[in-house]
Amino acid sequence: MWKFVTGKLLQYVIVIMLMLTLNFLLPRLMPGNPLVFLAGEDVGFMTSKEKEAILEKHGLNDSIVQQYGTYLKNIFTGDFGFSYQQKRPIIELLKERLPWTMLLTGLGLVLSTIIGVLFGTISAWRRGTKTDANLLTMFMFLSAMPSFWVGMILVSVFSAQLGWLPVFGAESAWSNLKGMDRFIDIVKHLILPLTTLVLISVTSTFMIMRYSMLNVLGEDYIMMAKAKGVKEKVIKYKHAMRNALLPVATVFMLSLGFTLGGATVIETVFAYPGVGRLMFESVLSRDYPLIQATFLIITFSVVIANFLADLIYPILDPKVGKHNG
Amino acid sequence: MSTVLSVENLSTFFKTDKGIAKAVENVSFSVDEGEMLGLIGESGCGKTTVAQSILRLIEYPGKVVAGSVYLNGKNLLKATDSDLTGLRWREISVIPQSAMNALNPVYTVGDQIIEAILLHDNVNKKEAVERTKKLLELVGIDGERWKSYPHEFSGGMKQRVAIAMALACNPKLVISDESTTGLDVLTQAQVISLIKNLQKKMNLSVILISHDLPMVTSICDRIAIMYAGNLVEWASTEEILKNAEHPYSKALLNATPDLSNPEREVTSIPGSVPNLVNIPTCCRFHTRCPYAFDRCRQETPEFKEIKPGHYVACFLEEEQNG
Ligand SMILES: Nc1ncnc2c1ncn2[C@@H]1O[C@H](COP(=O)(O)OP(=O)(O)OP(=O)(O)O)[C@@H](O)[C@H]1O
Ligand code: SF4
Ligand SMILES: [Mg+2]
Repeated sequence: MWKFVTGKLLQYVIVIMLMLTLNFLLPRLMPGNPLVFLAGEDVGFMTSKEKEAILEKHGLNDSIVQQYGTYLKNIFTGDFGFSYQQKRPIIELLKERLPWTMLLTGLGLVLSTIIGVLFGTISAWRRGTKTDANLLTMFMFLSAMPSFWVGMILVSVFSAQLGWLPVFGAESAWSNLKGMDRFIDIVKHLILPLTTLVLISVTSTFMIMRYSMLNVLGEDYIMMAKAKGVKEKVIKYKHAMRNALLPVATVFMLSLGFTLGGATVIETVFAYPGVGRLMFESVLSRDYPLIQATFLIITFSVVIANFLADLIYPILDPKVGKHNG
Repeated sequence: MSTVLSVENLSTFFKTDKGIAKAVENVSFSVDEGEMLGLIGESGCGKTTVAQSILRLIEYPGKVVAGSVYLNGKNLLKATDSDLTGLRWREISVIPQSAMNALNPVYTVGDQIIEAILLHDNVNKKEAVERTKKLLELVGIDGERWKSYPHEFSGGMKQRVAIAMALACNPKLVISDESTTGLDVLTQAQVISLIKNLQKKMNLSVILISHDLPMVTSICDRIAIMYAGNLVEWASTEEILKNAEHPYSKALLNATPDLSNPEREVTSIPGSVPNLVNIPTCCRFHTRCPYAFDRCRQETPEFKEIKPGHYVACFLEEEQNG
């Protein structure tokens, strides 16, 4: 087992190093003035002294090897550079945005997986019945709706018309709420974006679970369990669901990697201060260091999620365990 | 000898897009204590459907539409769910077709045998483990391997595990549904002789479903021959070999090489099995029968006893004997 883990770990360390190197090289290989890249289009208004200061500060006058060393050192000490557009260190921006994104997309992923799995199981268990047909139609309808549209409808009904829930943000500004009150305030702000996210992403899990469960229910070992006199509930959960969950687990792990990237459209519609919106803003304002940092974070989390998947999958599927262990 | 299982006028239909598939119609036979009955017929003739009807495993779009199945006097088709739970595995068990897939891939083989034991017998986990090891040894697998997963076994070993599992609760009747499909010839022979030995040792009643006539004639006491959803002939093995009456049985015997008489010509049966969907009243073999006459196309011959213990469904017999 340890051999397997360290082997995998080494593999992923290599992948991460490759990514870091690419991330280092790409901007340096791009044509054009590196200053534009660092400070944005405003360089035109800078004095030559200011320009020289920036170049010096970023070590752009050093040799490429030196630069690479500094780059790695900075990354590992959590220094992702400076956003000239927002006039703040990038790490501060990320620290501010990541928790909200993790709250929104993490919860969204967990909820949509649970709901998708539950309804997928019911649908497959009652294949061919009205329940199955209705669930299918409903989920197909959900998946066909664009997220900004769902978001806007929810906002207009629950915020504008009924006035139950706030329209934007992750919590009320300047309210200085503490403890339980703050928690409730955050939940209220979370409900609409979270609902939108779950509504638009639940269908894929539902479809995967339904299909996978249908396949499993047709397997001989399910018939065998029935012939053995195993109770229906036990067949459904112990024998069928345990197997049918495997593909869902794979998709869950893959999606987990992308949660740190946030949900750009939804965060924008609800003005939710997550990484997705930060990325959107950084692209709009051509804030290259920020774009690079967010991409790096996403790649990191995808790699880490894959590593976790590699560790967890053998436990879920004994067949995989054998080949690797 | 007492009758363990008696199937009477069993009919099981499937709903399909094109109509009702009469997969099994009016099938009657019985199995005695300690007897091995061979149920044979071409692919698609309804053997598995018969087995699943007996085991109450038919699901939508299938339905047992008529008949009764008595197991030691109890009508299985009328049994409630809780009656069934008590009967399953203790009285009747199955080694399914392609036993390769009969084991759940995410649980160890031991766990799956233990599950059956704990469900039906009042023993603790430790005793169940002990019995599981003994069962595995009985079928020639190292008892310590109860902790292995199905994919860690070869096809033939999985087959043996399935046999061990079928015997877990000392059933009276075991249905083996072509349980050697997908194995090489040598392993097939080993598995079959294993089933035969266990049957003798434990005085089991066995329904051996197969389309391998020579194998069935070599180990079964009686043989029931199915064609397109109907039972066409049922008699002792000896009687079938010597005095097969039904044209299909005869054709089947002629279609198999006879090792003791290599001179005899092997002839295949021309034509193909009719579509069972919306099949009209007739002798279902008439499209391929060399003796077919008008009546065969309009009526279904009755399955009746022409000699003690020898049943046939064919009009020829009637015509000849008046
Ligand atoms: N779920 C189903 N839906 C529709 N028709 C079915 C279904 N299951 C079986 N049938 C039909 O019932 C008939 C008998 O099938 P069955 O599986 O019992 O045959 P078999 O004798 O066991 O064949 P094989 O030797 O290939 O296993 C076939 O014509 C098949 O098309
Ligand atoms: S009933 Fe007619 S068609 Fe059927 S087997 Fe007998 S002779 Fe042939
Ligand atoms: Mg079959």
